Amino acid sequence: MTVKLTDRMKAWVKIGCHLNVASKSGVPFVTVSRNVKSVSDDEVVFALSPDEYSVIESALAENPWVAFGVSRAGGIRACYQFKGKGNVDKEGDIYNLKVKISEFYCTKPGCYAGQRLDLKPAQECEEWEHDLWTDLPK
Amino acid sequence: MVKLTSEMKEGLRVPGKGGSLVYLATSSADGKPNIAAMRYIDTFKDDKLLISDMFLLKTKANLKENPNCIIAICHPLDSGRDWVFKGKAIDIEYGFPPDFDWYGVKAKEILDGWGDWHQKEPPDEVPPDVVYSKPAQRGVVVLHVEEIYSIEKGKVGEKLQ
Repeated sequence: MTVKLTDRMKAWVKIGCHLNVASKSGVPFVTVSRNVKSVSDDEVVFALSPDEYSVIESALAENPWVAFGVSRAGGIRACYQFKGKGNVDKEGDIYNLKVKISEFYCTKPGCYAGQRLDLKPAQECEEWEHDLWTDLPK
Repeated sequence: MVKLTSEMKEGLRVPGKGGSLVYLATSSADGKPNIAAMRYIDTFKDDKLLISDMFLLKTKANLKENPNCIIAICHPLDSGRDWVFKGKAIDIEYGFPPDFDWYGVKAKEILDGWGDWHQKEPPDEVPPDVVYSKPAQRGVVVLHVEEIYSIEKGKVGEKLQ
């Protein structure tokens, strides 16, 4: 199944995200990425500063899964959760965490909570979302 | 031993009362992470955070097999509330024995106080295109905080307590 984020999702992800990774034994570690380097249909690259990366480094070294949601007002306006596997490249002082998204969900409270959106055909997903929200981050 | 500050207690309330939107982060026992934003947040005593179990799915499944949990401030960020709270959590659901104990907290006192959170603190500030149509609370997640660290710009990961 091809994953394709909507344009609205891409716009919101760009404002920064909270990332959750976990050790192999399930201990979570949360960091914030304030700088998003790029967003494509199925991939996001987070440009992490050394301190932002330090929190997740050990867990990511043993377990590539990353779950993330949009920071700030995105926590309420962008009701999505994204999951995928990540790998890191160092570029100067910056750690580029590239996450290949394999699943994404709706987190709007109510009947849509937990609905897996990446399994919908892309056009259907766009239309479904458009019926609910059209606002973009300011 | 952790002791929530008065500033933290002020910030860890529902947004409509001057609090914050938070992220609740969990993991399956074999390490698949999950993260979802929560509006219902409160503190109890000096080392417990409470979240309403309303529409929790994967979070609930994760907590049933793995109590390791994090609550992090989502919004506002970079406004002096850049905290992450880490510890062990359980979902105290209706039907738990009243004297069930989670790190010194009894199920009855939690469910009596926060078991009908919609009624207690209705989501008046939540935009109509996001708010649920009908409340469906099944319990209260209680996080026993063991560690607090920062997500402040330039200081992410610094241990606060």
